[in-house]
Amino acid sequence: MTNNIKPALETPRQKQNRHKAMEAVKVLNAIKKEFKEPPKAMNYFYDLFEKVYCKQEALHTNKVKIGTMCIQIPSEIIYALDAVPLRLCNGFYTDDEIGSDLMPSKSCPLVKATVGHLASENFSDKPDIIFSPTTCDQKTKAGAIVQNFGYEVIDVDFPRTKESEESREYWRRSVRKFSSDMSKNLNKKLTKKNLKASIQKIGYAQTLYHKLNDFRKNRLVPILGKDMFLITNAFFFDKIDNWIAAVEELIEEVEQRAANQIHAGGKISPRIVYTGSPPIFPNYKIPLIVEQSDAIIVADETCSSNRMFNDRVSVDEWFLNDMIDSIADKYLKGCTCPIFTKNDDRIRRIVDLVRSYGADGVVYQAFAGCQVYEMEQRSVLAAMEKEGIAILYVESDYSPSQQGQLTTRVEAFVESLKNRRRMKK
Amino acid sequence: MMKNKIKNIINNMPLNKVRFWIQLVMFILFAYGGYVFIDFGSSIPIFACPYNRETGATCYFMPLQHQLAMPANVLFGAAAISVFIGLLTFIAWFVVLNKAWCGYACPFGTLQDWITALRKKLGIRYSTYSQPQFDKLSKIKYIFLAIVIMIPLLMGIGVLGGEWSGAFCQICPARIISPMFVGDFSQWKIDFSSVAAMILTTIGVLFAAVFFVGSFIKKRFFCFFCPMSALHYTMSDLSLLKLRKDGDKCTKCGDCYKVCDMQIKDIADDVTSTNILRDDCMFCMKCVAACPEDDALHVDILNMRVFSSTKEGFAKRMGMSHLEKNNDQ
Ligand code: SF4
Ligand code: SF4
Ligand code: SF4
Ligand code: SF4
Repeated sequence: MTNNIKPALETPRQKQNRHKAMEAVKVLNAIKKEFKEPPKAMNYFYDLFEKVYCKQEALHTNKVKIGTMCIQIPSEIIYALDAVPLRLCNGFYTDDEIGSDLMPSKSCPLVKATVGHLASENFSDKPDIIFSPTTCDQKTKAGAIVQNFGYEVIDVDFPRTKESEESREYWRRSVRKFSSDMSKNLNKKLTKKNLKASIQKIGYAQTLYHKLNDFRKNRLVPILGKDMFLITNAFFFDKIDNWIAAVEELIEEVEQRAANQIHAGGKISPRIVYTGSPPIFPNYKIPLIVEQSDAIIVADETCSSNRMFNDRVSVDEWFLNDMIDSIADKYLKGCTCPIFTKNDDRIRRIVDLVRSYGADGVVYQAFAGCQVYEMEQRSVLAAMEKEGIAILYVESDYSPSQQGQLTTRVEAFVESLKNRRRMKK
Repeated sequence: MMKNKIKNIINNMPLNKVRFWIQLVMFILFAYGGYVFIDFGSSIPIFACPYNRETGATCYFMPLQHQLAMPANVLFGAAAISVFIGLLTFIAWFVVLNKAWCGYACPFGTLQDWITALRKKLGIRYSTYSQPQFDKLSKIKYIFLAIVIMIPLLMGIGVLGGEWSGAFCQICPARIISPMFVGDFSQWKIDFSSVAAMILTTIGVLFAAVFFVGSFIKKRFFCFFCPMSALHYTMSDLSLLKLRKDGDKCTKCGDCYKVCDMQIKDIADDVTSTNILRDDCMFCMKCVAACPEDDALHVDILNMRVFSSTKEGFAKRMGMSHLEKNNDQ
């Protein structure tokens, strides 16, 4: 494929880009071609990922770019100040390998890939400044490593319990500080007007996501999980207005598909709720295996998708400080991230998703090295067992090697769910 | 089909507007009903204060204090029937609306909401209590309720004299403020006829003054201390109208808590109770309107769902169902 390029002339940067493009193309091709025909409106997203990850095209040339290390950095505030948030969480094996030299060997591949990417300084859209919330240990420490590469990194204090009044206050204060830091940095004032507009715009994007999701509750599911992951993943970096327009169009088409009784799955495809470490492009390994094994992902509980969109901000009186507090609460109180001490909320959430999306089972995926998801596995499995919900726990990383063994396990799980379905009939 | 349509209309309604108009109508009814001979009787479970000579009803605390102050032999003898009927009528009224009397009908509650609206217009932000303050202050209404009940009883057995008559009314800011609705400022005075009266009316005047300042900075400032609200709570299980929660659907996002004028934390954090009505609640239903999860919060008449939180309704009310051209306010 690349044998006409003389290796000697290829810079490390080019090589990295080439490898990443190869990873991206492979996954995009699988997403596009190895399933029943996707909605036409998905082409916007396929093209977007191709542009950004295969051709390294920049999207935000004339705006200040704010890198974020986790979902807790409020994009409402970033957009209000006319900057763009770029979520730096990374799914490339190429970057994971670069990061491996900079992090302990048993680290989480997502963090390694993020660090590796930042170490390479090879960006289509390079962040001007990075905000790093103190969520899991690895991300927290990664902030400092990244700073050593010469980036401006600002830590944002995030509490790791969320029940107490103290943590609510603590986080509200953090977000207020974040707002003023941003404001100073960008030399722009946060106003009632621009913040309200931004809250409502993001709220609208979330509303669209909910609308789209509603179709996945149908018995005949018009859109597959792999496409949904791509759509939500695009929100990490896309121009928000384009994203909104594309999803609006997609909803129309999906509505039509639903009316025409188009089913993206097979006759007795089991319905799956996906939870655990976030699938981030192009690491769609497990979701793809699941859906290639003739199951459909109807819902997810991950921070690259549902968790990013589910909770919308409510405001009673649209004053600046009130809005900021509302935003803060949303990012803390509704969050089901496993970094928190107790996490009954996450379990309740998964159970509710299973019920309201009529799912047959849960796939729980943890990155090898993602300690918090690994640690929570037991309690979630026990809770699902109590509820009589079938669940499969798989560990994976970014390497392309273990594919075969994972496939076998997932297929066996899907097969058992199918049998259940058959028996029910 | 039709049923679903109606359901949708209700669940998508702009609650704040609907509530504003209901409150306005109720206010006119209760504050000015007297002009057109409206009288809902004397067992009304809200502060429709008879010191306002044109009131359309009478706050139950007026007859209650009066009755409890009767000597025991009268209270349990000749007057027993009428006392009993008074109580039953009170309960009957209450059973229909539950605490929504407070959120929708009480003129004194509505007045506070209007003061809030004024503050909002002036662009001033509200204040809240910290959690420990809240926990302490929230008990005061029970002290007031004790005053409503105990002082008359002590009079009845002769421990306290006649100057303690209607003791709570003497303190109650509604006594001083409600007559102002019809331009009567005569209650703004201290009664020097006895030491007890002097103390009580002084507290009353101060309380009334604090009422205006308090309501300006704190939403529903007085309701937090209102003994009527405390009395309601003791009976709220009897009511047909229910505020319920389905904890399984709740993400604890806190949106409901954020809009609650009474700062009721359980509304967001309690995911096990089905009945989520708390003693401070005034059943305004703002929480239901602000909850972004389908059916997590709902208002029921017995077991029939009449108003439910929905994703769609939420989006409509927050201006998130279409791209807004930003309008101020
Ligand atoms: S709590 Fe408020 S609304 Fe209810 S009776 Fe008392 S003053 Fe009226
Ligand atoms: S003064 Fe207060 S307690 Fe007495 S009747 Fe009027 S509103 Fe009721
Ligand atoms: S708004 Fe709804 S989902 Fe959010 S905490 Fe309240 S009840 Fe739960
Ligand atoms: S809990 Fe709900 S109904 Fe009760 S006062 Fe708060 S917002 Fe109103």
